[in-house]
Amino acid sequence: MLLPPFEYYRPSNLEQALALLREMGDQAHPLAGGTDLLVNLKLKKLAPKALLDLGGLEELKGSRADGGQVSLGALNSASRLASGGPHVPRLLAMGAGALGSPQVRNRATLGGNLVTARPAADLCLPLLALGARAVLTGPQGSREVSLDGYFQGPGYTVKEPGEILTRVLLEAPKPGQGGGYQKLGLRQALEIALVNVAAHLELEPDGKTIAMARVALGAVAPVPMLAPSAAQVLQGAKADEKSFTAAAQAAAADAKPIDDHRGSAAYRRDMARTLTLRALRQALAQAQGGKEVGA
Amino acid sequence: MSRQFDVIGSRAPRKDAPNKSTGKAQYIEDITFPGELAGALLQSPHAHAKILDIDTSKALALPGVVAVLTAKDVPEVKYGVSPARYDENLFAMDRVRYVGDEIAAVAAVDLPTALKAVELIQVEYEPLPVLLTVEEATANDAPWIHEEYPDNICAQVEQEFGDVEAAFAQCDLIQEGSFFSKRQDGAFIEPNQCVALMGHDGVLTLHSSTQVPHYVQRTVAMVTGLGMSQVRVVKPYVGGGFGPKASATPIDLAASFLAIRTGRPVRMAYTREQVFLFSRARHGFTHHMKIGAKKDGTLMALDHQATLDGGAYSSFGIATVYYAGSLLGGPYKLPNMRYAGRRVFTNKPACGAQRGHGGVIARALFEQQLDIIAEKLGMDPIELRLKNMMETGDVTCNDLAMSSLGMKECIEAVKSGSGWGEKKGKLPPGKGIGMACGFFVSGAGYPIYRSETYHCTIMIKADEDGGGITVYTASAEIGQGSDTTMAMIAAEAVGIPLEQVRVKSGDTDFGIDLGAYSSRTTLMTGHATKEAGDNLKAMVLETLAGELGIQAARLDIKNGLIKISGGPVDFSAIRTGYIKEHRGWQDQPQSQELTFREAARLAYLRRGTLVATGKYKPPVLGGKYKGATVGTSPAYGCSAQVAEVNVDFETGQIIVERVTDAHDCGQAVNLTSVEAQMQGSVSMGLGEALFEEVKFDAQGRIINASLGEYHIPTVMDMPEVRCIVVESGEPNGPFGAKEVGEGAIMPTIPAILNAVRNATGLVLEETPLTPERVYQALKKQKGA
Repeated sequence: MLLPPFEYYRPSNLEQALALLREMGDQAHPLAGGTDLLVNLKLKKLAPKALLDLGGLEELKGSRADGGQVSLGALNSASRLASGGPHVPRLLAMGAGALGSPQVRNRATLGGNLVTARPAADLCLPLLALGARAVLTGPQGSREVSLDGYFQGPGYTVKEPGEILTRVLLEAPKPGQGGGYQKLGLRQALEIALVNVAAHLELEPDGKTIAMARVALGAVAPVPMLAPSAAQVLQGAKADEKSFTAAAQAAAADAKPIDDHRGSAAYRRDMARTLTLRALRQALAQAQGGKEVGA
Repeated sequence: MSRQFDVIGSRAPRKDAPNKSTGKAQYIEDITFPGELAGALLQSPHAHAKILDIDTSKALALPGVVAVLTAKDVPEVKYGVSPARYDENLFAMDRVRYVGDEIAAVAAVDLPTALKAVELIQVEYEPLPVLLTVEEATANDAPWIHEEYPDNICAQVEQEFGDVEAAFAQCDLIQEGSFFSKRQDGAFIEPNQCVALMGHDGVLTLHSSTQVPHYVQRTVAMVTGLGMSQVRVVKPYVGGGFGPKASATPIDLAASFLAIRTGRPVRMAYTREQVFLFSRARHGFTHHMKIGAKKDGTLMALDHQATLDGGAYSSFGIATVYYAGSLLGGPYKLPNMRYAGRRVFTNKPACGAQRGHGGVIARALFEQQLDIIAEKLGMDPIELRLKNMMETGDVTCNDLAMSSLGMKECIEAVKSGSGWGEKKGKLPPGKGIGMACGFFVSGAGYPIYRSETYHCTIMIKADEDGGGITVYTASAEIGQGSDTTMAMIAAEAVGIPLEQVRVKSGDTDFGIDLGAYSSRTTLMTGHATKEAGDNLKAMVLETLAGELGIQAARLDIKNGLIKISGGPVDFSAIRTGYIKEHRGWQDQPQSQELTFREAARLAYLRRGTLVATGKYKPPVLGGKYKGATVGTSPAYGCSAQVAEVNVDFETGQIIVERVTDAHDCGQAVNLTSVEAQMQGSVSMGLGEALFEEVKFDAQGRIINASLGEYHIPTVMDMPEVRCIVVESGEPNGPFGAKEVGEGAIMPTIPAILNAVRNATGLVLEETPLTPERVYQALKKQKGA
């Protein structure tokens, strides 16, 4: 398989990048890690006239904490996120560690995973569960978009063609929070999940009551999705098996899986339940500062 | 084995390791020629259709296109693997039979142009009914995919050994079961590729990523009409084969024709998707077995039916359908066996041979049923197996002779190595342990075409300066380590250190070698190499004995030094002569003993260049019945494995945690390479057991033709594998060696099946054991 011919631009700052995008419109396709884009070019699923390499944009790099907020650059690689670091939430690191293989993780980026918007994306689920917002920068400036509502369909988001996803914003971690990530696939690496689940819990100071929870489900809908009924069941409930079981049931009911060659809808719904329960247990253990519960 | 070797049995580093680990190893893609053209294939988008018209005019008109070939441009010669089933034309004549069937080939100045030209070829199709399953293909009203094969039956086998019905009448227990497996892909890392060049001397040289240079040479010669002497096939380093590379490909042939037509080098390569389309990998099998046993566990009879979903062409299929039956003749004493097998044509890529050819799923079902029989009779599965196990010298009911069989040693080794006694029946919920056995040929007893040809010939030439030797062999190093194996065998035979041996292989100019398939190279090419080494040694020692005026029987070579028995002999004249020849050199011989270098130099001075040859073909083997040749071999490797699994009851996911693997390879030539074959076999068996399945849509298109969607095990999926090498000493093998390449895969799937059954109680009848399949079975079990 051959890459089709394309023009190649490597703007050195965001302003230049946005100008090029404006100039070329949908003839240009931004390039970050390229783990999906280059494959799709070879498969002739995409045929842009030009690739706009974002690798030179300092505005999309690094991570920083600013007051109560963490800002992660869109060019952070999955391997960097997987190894943790001062501002990377543990839940995101767990998802990043489950993505692809070491080689893929070295190339794949935070922004790329969000823009590619696959239903089982390993970074999207933790970010959804963490209540993250994407910063979309366009000719008119930047806007912040909650990830709940950002995903529109497989490969489709609210990002406009002239915009670049520059950063991801998260609330800074607080004590009493915990995350769980569960991924079920055929094999242990290089795998698109059959079902994956990210859960985020915030406990009241008593360490027993759930102040807030989010459960994100993958591969059970056209987009990575939050399970609102599960969150509702958990909010204000005791953090125990009973409410986790009820929340898992609710998450399975929220799921909208289909049959495909990877798995049936019925199996995926059952797995949404099982993995939600496991992710919540894992999140609780983390929130209570104990040792993490295994899969 | 008490015999001491100097080179054999060691963990010598492989000869190819430095080149491969530094990137210096040259594969087809690394070899380029001036003036190369790029070739590309037009393949059918339809699974079954008539071709009404082909218009190549637009493709030919595209600037940069040098040649376009269709069926009307090449001789109408049918080819295939088995001469009894030559059913392929390079380019479709009037009908395409699977998505991927070849219609035309283009040569152009570069690949983008060639691919563009392929798109410009216009073909008018008339779609025909698409037969994707055995059921569809054997339905009463199904059209015939090949006019020559009524009812889409490619091959049919009926065999009975002993009297199965009479034996069943004496049995206390009759156990029946079925199994259904899926088509696999070989998933070798290097897609098939080749470069063909037509020389001004009239010789076509084809560089190809193949397991079988000799068969490719024959097929190219036959189809192009060139003489065997006008076709040379060269195999550089190859990135794996596992069976699917054991025959000529359409690109081997198309590149040859394009090179003949254009007079320029033509390169062709499959993409990964095209590798899936060419396939020639493991069939999908359906087996049904009825096994009869006595109360005491004595196995009495097997009644076995198999159906193979063959795809659109025969390829290796006749052999596959025979192997699926014959390889159950052992390793257990089974006096009565009946087999009915058939291979059915369907509109899918042709299946062929893959590691454990034909025997793997039959073995899986048989070993699964043995465990159930053991349970029903209240016996430990190991006890049942030991009770029925053959021994060295036994002959199966279908005339396969076990000239060495370390099966009991293998079973004992995995029993103690896995801690079977402490684990079986004592594991916590979700954990299971299972075992299985298997055996495989150590080289097919007969070539693919009927012939008295030697299966391999070897030439060893000593350096004129005496410093080392070169082994010339047409055998195929495809990553399995055969070059190192031949170097070690030659070093041992001649009596020199491994460093003094070079191997040049994979070139049909070097002689005859049937290639890397049927686990034949170590035993067969090894034999020929040993014979050539013995002959070379004799030549050196004869000359030396004459020079010293003593009996040659008093001389030997060991570790590169001449050993003289029966008292001191003055060899100073030889040494002085050598030193005078090398005045000014820094490495003059100073040892107390005469060196091989001096002796070989002397032999050259007295008789000219020293070239010794070796050859091998097996003796006449097997019975007289129809199909008796398939399964015959001069020796059989055998193995036992214990698998330990964890089954997640809530997801159905199986994790294979440990495999204890014992294999009788007769005598390890290179211990590390033997273990690597064992590890690789576990990996491939585990993939087939748990993950692998080539999937099709309703139009016959493969929907997972990539290594992203077709799941082979990653290193993260590999269990801890404990390898135990058993050495029974094979009398028909060089230095006692026999196979490890394929026999080692036989027990893997059933050991996993038995472990899963031990953990869950489930008798699973379909692979791959995906989480969903296991989960649904658990759910059904719970509900029942």
